[in-house]
Amino acid sequence: MSMRSQVYQWNSQAGTTPAADAQAGTSMSIFIGGFGNNITKPAETTATQFVVIEDVAVSPSAFTYTGVGADDVVYRGLTIGATETGVAGNRAYIQVRINTTDYFLDPDNVGNDGIPGAASPYPRSTDFQPCFNLYPDVYVLPGQVFDALVTFYNTGATGSTILNCGLWAFMKYTLYDGPDALIANKLLEMGISINPGNVDWYKRTLIQSQSAPAMPSA
Amino acid sequence: MSMRSQVYEWSNLAAGGAGLTSTSTLRRTVDAQPQVVPKDREYDIFIGGIGNNITKPAETTATQFIVIEDIACSAYLGGAVQVRINTTDYFQNPDVTDQAGVPGLASPYPRGSSNELPAGTANLIADNTQLLKSFDLYPDVYVLPGQVFQILYSLTTTNADYPAAGNTAVVSAFVKYTLYDGPDALIANKLLELGVTINPNNVDWYKRTLIEQQQRSRVAATATNGGSA
Repeated sequence: MSMRSQVYQWNSQAGTTPAADAQAGTSMSIFIGGFGNNITKPAETTATQFVVIEDVAVSPSAFTYTGVGADDVVYRGLTIGATETGVAGNRAYIQVRINTTDYFLDPDNVGNDGIPGAASPYPRSTDFQPCFNLYPDVYVLPGQVFDALVTFYNTGATGSTILNCGLWAFMKYTLYDGPDALIANKLLEMGISINPGNVDWYKRTLIQSQSAPAMPSA
Repeated sequence: MSMRSQVYEWSNLAAGGAGLTSTSTLRRTVDAQPQVVPKDREYDIFIGGIGNNITKPAETTATQFIVIEDIACSAYLGGAVQVRINTTDYFQNPDVTDQAGVPGLASPYPRGSSNELPAGTANLIADNTQLLKSFDLYPDVYVLPGQVFQILYSLTTTNADYPAAGNTAVVSAFVKYTLYDGPDALIANKLLELGVTINPNNVDWYKRTLIEQQQRSRVAATATNGGSA
């Protein structure tokens, strides 16, 4: 199992310290941010691993209008915040960071909050459909640290369930390990997209070249 | 990371908190309030002075190439988005006159949102319209090195007192593009010259072609030198 499809789900309300309104406007790592469910150490690849991040998503938001009535109003499964902003849900964004570099930038080349939940919602539903796909994929080379940072801007909308605006995030990636990570590096050098199909193609090419009959001598 | 998928989301939310009266903010602020967007005017979602803005006009440097792949906006209030490269509008009428661009009804943001915001909380909650897109930005729009680009949002009915007196509606727009930087921007230019569509696959194809050519040249040189490199 040297090519493995992997997922990581983050729930801001899980773990010992749930995220609260005080965290609004600040980015939180979904792996080691100290809020929600976390892991034991920063996400990183070893010298024999290669990670391809294929999708990131975060809780969606819906846009309405002011004067709806705060807190108790639920629109499309999302709570209108305590302050009447006209936004239902957390107004959340997710950024990918490799080592110290943010992946998503504004057009003025300044790092931004990342993908809006309205563009890449998690979970998806008929009310909230994606209009973004992470293509080209994001490559995490051997020895690099990677992270996903969630930022939300609408307070009073966090809750413990999906239907009550729990802040969730999702990452889907493929982990290439051992020989497959070497092949992934080789494909990267060759300018070929790294996906399981191309890794298998490279293996077949190697096998074919080894089993080809020897060139006849002149 | 020289080919990167990028997004920019704009909404008319700004000036959160007491005492803040600006109609726009750099980046985003907590609990920002919806600002009034006058009708029948085009607002640059990057530096238009309403909602979240950036520090300078969106432009490519000499070593960047941008391919705009999707644009969308709120479907209500007659919202539409136009792409402008330098001073040229991309979408135009058949008689070559100006138009507002792609209607939010054709390319709604968020996908699955409604084409209206009914007045009254009960009516709003009861609305279950879920719009799908009927527009695909294909072929993509190219922003060449050194060009300025704008995404212009306009609406035909102002969001003030919508849907009822005292309400202000939140409107938003979205653009998805791929940023090619450094060597990949040079390759994108080369593909443009060749008339080949610029996308990550074709940029990778061109790189492979270059590598194969170099390998062939090396083999030929070795053969010419009698087997020594």
